[in-house]
Amino acid sequence: MLIAGIIAVLVLIFGIGIYNSLINKKNQVTNAFSAIDVMVKKRFDLIPNLVEVVKQYTGHEAGTLEKITELRGRAISPVATEGDKLALDQQIGAAVKGLMVSVENYPELKANTNFLNLQSTWTESEEQIAAARRNYNATVTSYNNAVMQFPGNMFAGMLGYVPMPVLAASEQERANISAKELFNS
Amino acid sequence: MEAFFVQDPSVSTALNELELTRKYIARMNIQGIACIALAVLVFIAGNSFAGVEIGVVLGLCALIPGIVFLSRAGSRSGAYKSGFKQKVIGAALTRMDSSLSMQPDQGIPEHEFVSSRLFVTEPDRYNAEDLVVGKAGKTGFYFSEVHAEYKTEVRTKNGTRTEWHDILSGIVFCADFNKDFRGFTVVRPQDIGSKLGGWFSKHVFSFGSNDVVELENEAFSKLFITHSTDQVEARYILTPALMERICKLNELCAYTVSLSFIDSRMYIAFPLDRNYFEPPVFTSLLKPGILDHDLNILRFMYNIVKDLDLNTRIWTKQ
Repeated sequence: MLIAGIIAVLVLIFGIGIYNSLINKKNQVTNAFSAIDVMVKKRFDLIPNLVEVVKQYTGHEAGTLEKITELRGRAISPVATEGDKLALDQQIGAAVKGLMVSVENYPELKANTNFLNLQSTWTESEEQIAAARRNYNATVTSYNNAVMQFPGNMFAGMLGYVPMPVLAASEQERANISAKELFNS
Repeated sequence: MEAFFVQDPSVSTALNELELTRKYIARMNIQGIACIALAVLVFIAGNSFAGVEIGVVLGLCALIPGIVFLSRAGSRSGAYKSGFKQKVIGAALTRMDSSLSMQPDQGIPEHEFVSSRLFVTEPDRYNAEDLVVGKAGKTGFYFSEVHAEYKTEVRTKNGTRTEWHDILSGIVFCADFNKDFRGFTVVRPQDIGSKLGGWFSKHVFSFGSNDVVELENEAFSKLFITHSTDQVEARYILTPALMERICKLNELCAYTVSLSFIDSRMYIAFPLDRNYFEPPVFTSLLKPGILDHDLNILRFMYNIVKDLDLNTRIWTKQ
């Protein structure tokens, strides 16, 4: 009787642990997504300064700058969904990468301290976003494993939790960015 | 590298001078030990054939010169060791990079060792020496030999006995990391305890530690367990490229290394089997290959900055 009671208590504790674990994992996914959102917003805030500095020194990049400004405008608009923001951020990232390549043609801009600061801040933001995306994917994978594997799947069914998709690297991210390809299309 | 290095006139002169001192210290040590052995024999023989008093007197006659010889060896060995470190190891460092220097009497302080969080256990006995400081390209670094131990009390028939256990006997390396970060991230070798903690963290969140970072590099995750105060920051530091480089660096070591990232610095602990930068006493300094171990470890430490690509400064930290 005592042994059966101990086993029942242990099973109960284990069950509570798994239930809490699922809730925690779901919350972690939400947090991980918020982390990407914060990083992306920080990156959007860099764009006006970057555009201003580049505009002063370059004569032939007006189209690129307009495109970046336009993408930023769409990304920060209140109607943009989280998914839109991520997609637009990838487009902005690719466009700025192309711009950085074009900068090679403007030695004065390359020597400008403001531009250099912005360039390194941009690179840092890229690494931070990449880290946040990796974190999101790790969190989603952990959540998916918990939802799909026994014994978590029993609780997941009760809670209505379903597997979630991970963020895949875009084709643009995988390919080497070429400024010409980007802006002549 | 060694053959080329010892041909340097200043190093060659220093080695020849130090060799004379080494021979003197070796001779004094041998004579001292021989006298002490003789003292024991004489005491036993005297005690057996002529009584305790005669045994003691005869024994002292051999013991006193033995102590004199050993103290002569001792009085010269400090200068011999520091001469070796300054003139030979110092020259090797300068040849490698003019910014490098050695401070034999200094080491990474205990409070820094503890705050680096490389190890969970705090030392009860700590000794550090042979601090090397310098720069490789844009990256400042330093390292020193460290021997950190903790003690346990063991109950015996007569009471308790203190036993000492190594936390680390090896080298702690510290370099300025090329990115800024606020929290701390530690990378320690996997063991059964950490694997169990990781499993609970993964499957039964409430009971496990929630600071374990699950990284996507399988080889890295098999070797190490990573803890961090910030999951995103841990991945900002441990990029896929850095994880690959850490695995490669670890392959060059006999024992799995530990790493920590704290205060925008990176610490690496290398457990080692030998005490480096100590001159030989009973082997000639002029013997080919005698400096190989010391020169190789210096080169290895210097190359860490390059191996881990710490000179790439494309982020806001310059």
